[in-house]
Amino acid sequence: MRGVINLDWSAFAVEAAGGSAKNVLIMASIIIPIMILLELAREKRILDHFSKKLAPALKVFGMSPEAAFPLLAGMVFGISYGAGVIIDSAKSGRVSWRDMFLVNVFLAICHAMIEDTALFLAVGADPLVIVVGRLGLAVVITYLVSRSKYFDRNNTGTIPKTTGKGL
Amino acid sequence: MMTAAIKRGLQKGLSVTLVLARIVVPVYIMVTFLKYTPAMGFIARLFEPVMRLVGLPGEASIAIVLGYLTNLYAALGAIASLNLSAKETTIIALMLLISHAMPMETAVSLKTGVNGLVMLAIRTLLSVLAGVALSFAL
Repeated sequence: MRGVINLDWSAFAVEAAGGSAKNVLIMASIIIPIMILLELAREKRILDHFSKKLAPALKVFGMSPEAAFPLLAGMVFGISYGAGVIIDSAKSGRVSWRDMFLVNVFLAICHAMIEDTALFLAVGADPLVIVVGRLGLAVVITYLVSRSKYFDRNNTGTIPKTTGKGL
Repeated sequence: MMTAAIKRGLQKGLSVTLVLARIVVPVYIMVTFLKYTPAMGFIARLFEPVMRLVGLPGEASIAIVLGYLTNLYAALGAIASLNLSAKETTIIALMLLISHAMPMETAVSLKTGVNGLVMLAIRTLLSVLAGVALSFAL
């Protein structure tokens, strides 16, 4: 067995320095344009347009059209970036507690689609497979939760206070 | 207004790149170092039987563990260093995108009213099932 002392330090140094620099550059070249596009999308209020289109589809989960906006914000911009919209929707009372719960379930599996997909594209993953895979699973799980008996006893129509213990 | 948005996007992109680089570079260097030592072969052999279930080589366990327990950026650094095939990269990407940064995300979801531990269990199960499915489908 070759000892640590005998490892090929020069080859390691070249691969470590070159490889890490190359990968950061690839990621930067993808993530910076994406962030500019996302900011432009926010500026142009593109979500308003798309959330209207998405709204009818949410009937599948028994969700109201108002839930489309926070759902789309989390899907496109991510949980932290879309948090403003999500928290605002929850607090405003426009979106019911049940709908917010389902938005959370969906977003747990499928969020920040643009940024995450771009980063994995940078290391060589197939973007179509990871987008379709995540979306498909989020739809299935959200559908199952929306049809579960859970809401029969918990549909209070209000946002519960944070207990720190979950539900 | 447009230029302000472009400027904000540029700043945001640069700050993400900076955060990313601070994690990706050290992880990349450490994983590359492991590749030059017998430790990588040991890890690969140890996890090969489990990782085979999701169509990944044993050394990919490093990226899975990093992604599950810390964050996606650390996993990306490891994936970049591991020389995985296109198929393997897609498998590990979907697995990690479904479930990642478990301690942090579970803590957050406990605050949103969703049962964080149930969600954690569902996501981890889905992550593994997606890996198994893709290993056959791709």
